[in-house]
Amino acid sequence: MRLPQGPRRLYERWLARRLPAASQIVLDQKRIFIFPTGYGFFYLLVAALLFIGGINYENNLILALSFLMASLFLVAILHTFRNLSALGLRNGTAESGFSGEEGALEVVLFAEQRAHHCIWLRWPGQDAQQVSVLAGEEESLWLNLPLARRGKIPAPRLKVESRFPLGLLRTWSYATLDHYCLAWPRPQESEDCPADGGKNNQRAFSSGQSGNEEFQGLRRYVPGDSLRKIDWKGYARGRGLNTKLFEEPVGGRLWLRWDKLEGLGDEQRLSILCHWVLELDRQHQPYGLVLPGLTLAPDTGDVHRWRLLDALACYPEF
Amino acid sequence: MARIYQVPSHTRLWLTLAVTFCALPQLLKGPLWQGGLFALVVAIRALVNRQRMALPGRIIRSLLLMGAVALTFYSFGRLYGPEAGVALLVSLFGLKYLEVVSQRDAYVLLVLGFFVCATSLLFSQSPLMFLYVLLCMVLLTACLAGINHSDTRASGMQHLKRAGIIMAQAVPLMLILFVLVPRVAPLWNMQVGNGKARTGMTDSMAPGQISELSESSALAFRVAFDGDMPPPAERYWRGLTLSHFDGRAWQQAIPRGMDEAGYLYSGRGPAPDWVDALTAGRSDGTSYAYQVIVEPTQRRWLFAMPVPFVSEGGVSLARDMRLVANNPVSQRQSYQVVSVPAATRRLPLAAEEKALMLSIPDESGRRARGLAQQWRLESQSDAAVVQQALRYFRQQPFHYTLRPPKLVADPIDDFLFRSRKGFCEHYASSFTFLMRAAGIPARVVVGYQGGEQNSLGSHLLVRQYDAHAWSEVWLEGQGWVRVDPTGAVAPERVERGLRAALEEGDSGDALGGIQLDGFAGSGLLGVMREWADYVDFRWQTWVLSYDSQLQLSVLSKLLGQVTPLRVAVTLMVSVALLLGLYGLYLFWRNPVHSQSPMEKEFWRLHQRVQGCGLALSPGVTPSQLAEAIAGRWPRAASPARDWARYYQRALYDPRQKASKQQMRHLRGLRNRLYKLLD
Repeated sequence: MRLPQGPRRLYERWLARRLPAASQIVLDQKRIFIFPTGYGFFYLLVAALLFIGGINYENNLILALSFLMASLFLVAILHTFRNLSALGLRNGTAESGFSGEEGALEVVLFAEQRAHHCIWLRWPGQDAQQVSVLAGEEESLWLNLPLARRGKIPAPRLKVESRFPLGLLRTWSYATLDHYCLAWPRPQESEDCPADGGKNNQRAFSSGQSGNEEFQGLRRYVPGDSLRKIDWKGYARGRGLNTKLFEEPVGGRLWLRWDKLEGLGDEQRLSILCHWVLELDRQHQPYGLVLPGLTLAPDTGDVHRWRLLDALACYPEF
Repeated sequence: MARIYQVPSHTRLWLTLAVTFCALPQLLKGPLWQGGLFALVVAIRALVNRQRMALPGRIIRSLLLMGAVALTFYSFGRLYGPEAGVALLVSLFGLKYLEVVSQRDAYVLLVLGFFVCATSLLFSQSPLMFLYVLLCMVLLTACLAGINHSDTRASGMQHLKRAGIIMAQAVPLMLILFVLVPRVAPLWNMQVGNGKARTGMTDSMAPGQISELSESSALAFRVAFDGDMPPPAERYWRGLTLSHFDGRAWQQAIPRGMDEAGYLYSGRGPAPDWVDALTAGRSDGTSYAYQVIVEPTQRRWLFAMPVPFVSEGGVSLARDMRLVANNPVSQRQSYQVVSVPAATRRLPLAAEEKALMLSIPDESGRRARGLAQQWRLESQSDAAVVQQALRYFRQQPFHYTLRPPKLVADPIDDFLFRSRKGFCEHYASSFTFLMRAAGIPARVVVGYQGGEQNSLGSHLLVRQYDAHAWSEVWLEGQGWVRVDPTGAVAPERVERGLRAALEEGDSGDALGGIQLDGFAGSGLLGVMREWADYVDFRWQTWVLSYDSQLQLSVLSKLLGQVTPLRVAVTLMVSVALLLGLYGLYLFWRNPVHSQSPMEKEFWRLHQRVQGCGLALSPGVTPSQLAEAIAGRWPRAASPARDWARYYQRALYDPRQKASKQQMRHLRGLRNRLYKLLD
């Protein structure tokens, strides 16, 4: 059921005001909605039919049965509500991705008061995921997030829903976690590397020469070093995890520069820079990045690549 | 495409149990094939659940369905009506169970289960049946909880426990609703007759009929008095008056020239003059108010003491001072009566009525007639004739027995002058005949006499063996007067009941093989019987007959004045209060991190030391605590260090958890330490 545009916007605004975003949310009665399910209405109809039957047959026990069904329903309201109440949600980590693909956000559910069974978490337009959290424990859940554009993609409003224990009532809440997923620019190939400081010209690199590095020695592996530079043979011989060091390329450090791509749109520039970040990373070239307002010194490795990609995603607000 | 079974495996057992338990009352009562069908369904289902076979296809299921419908028609001759309808519903319930695949199917099955539970209550309304239905409801709720719990980790017992908790909270709420929700009049009338012949009175009296009844200890009705109870000798429950005698049997009759409309008054329309006459006597002398709960008789007549006044609908007053139900009593029924014995003298005797009450067949009882006429000549008044007759029964060698010899030629003369052994019906019959022969209007009354008192509920229990027949004679100025000739022969029958009469009399032959089980079976069994009867009686008076009238009186006791607004507010408030109470219980924040015994041990010492005036930081470790104590109280230094060392060993030693013995030792160390402080 979709509301027309006008009332819908009003409703959204009301929801946003009532349920503001936060990095940690504990569901309380202000946030929880409850309403009978279709089956709940059916159940009440059956209770009503039994009531009429009891009246007509002048049978007090059938009447009592219908009252019992109604009472079960009333008690179920409390139990259903209780299942969602005091459930906590907070930000977990995020998995970035290229724009046009999917990222993922981790949502951590924690139960400080009591166990919460069969909770469904859903982002609009996606399949729900089910999770149960036992008292005093935490469960984390990865939810996929389509990345439609480059930048910080905020977590959409999360719908938390439960029909436990009897399925007669549905209780739900909306949680807007103050959480985002970074969408890196979609890489766009280009002939010219928008870099300077290379050996002489950029064409030499695009042909993919990787033999121009001189092996210098080994040092102990430090988290963040590129996996490709690990001395795997030595590791296999039992010498521990070491990283191969190479002498700096003759041409010195490469700087990928934003202002080398004059005349192109911002997104296109970022896409081309992204392509070259990936390409240079593949070639184990130390590279740096110069964006308006941000300069990242040349380096290699996964952590370096991620830092650059994140910078490209966040542009222009770092 | 094979469908995937979505009902979680931990719920299957509950589903099977719920289906079986819900259907069981009908299976026990219904035709045999239904039990077979159910056994087949449960067996198939068990195999399917263990993946030994595939779920039967649509064709097989349709065949089973058609077979069930055809067999229902074959067994009952129709598909509608209570019995056939319920049988069909239960069959469909079983077949639905066969095809449960998805959660939706399970939902439908459970709703059918609620209906099946309700139909069980249609045929039996005993407290045990209701408890049984509550059990079924717990199982159905467990199923609901189970199919909504899609965690594979869940265990079956969890569902039952949860259902039990929810049910335990729902039952008090149900009681509130039961008491307070207004009862509405039936929208249309439906009656479930169970079509069974019952023991009870018939509408004529031939020799031998009542003595047959007296062999049954089945319950006839119960009476709960509101106020004084009449003495045992006054407890005559009139059922029918028989005024036509054909020489053998007495029958009901309406005087010539009177129609039934004038003979029965249902409380609607203008009251006939005899009703006005009786009503005028309503405040004459003592009166007894009581409630009668009558067992189903399939007849219309009801039982009451003379002269009965009722206020509720559905019951009419007849001209012969008895009550008649508008519909045959097919279920237990209760009615409130106020009896005023003295009002009987207000009733006039119409000429056509008098003619009927004097009629006797010409050819029977020739000697008896002679005897009656002789008394007539010897006596001054009608009352004297009655006394003469009673004296005759007392003085001649009459015997009271359940097994009278067969009367051959003329029942009246044969009994009065030859056999002289008989039961109440013989005495009533011959006495009435004698009175009529002497020119006194008389009739036979059949009903029940006496009743056993339940000491717990102080209600009377009238059983079939209390069936009795006596006479009424019409005396000028007194109206209809009850005369019980049996009382002249066997006074203990009237005073103390049939059993006493037979035990004192010729019990040897009379009681041969007859079991008269009342409460008198003393000892534990008797007490248990008394209790069972008390529960049944209370169930009847408080639960089953809780109708709009009773509700009104209960509500007016609770609320004072009963207005719809007040009832609605009371209902809302009490439901809200109870739910609020549950809410408090359910949402009570119990701290998840309760202190372990070891933690408590530490904090006790910590608090004590602080109480003695030593400031400690909350993050202090046991050894720091010990050092702090040692610094302040040098005397306590070594016990404190001992305590800390022992504490740490007990807490951190991975080889063993702190045992009870260790805890005791720690406590001892701590207490010794206390003495060294301050």
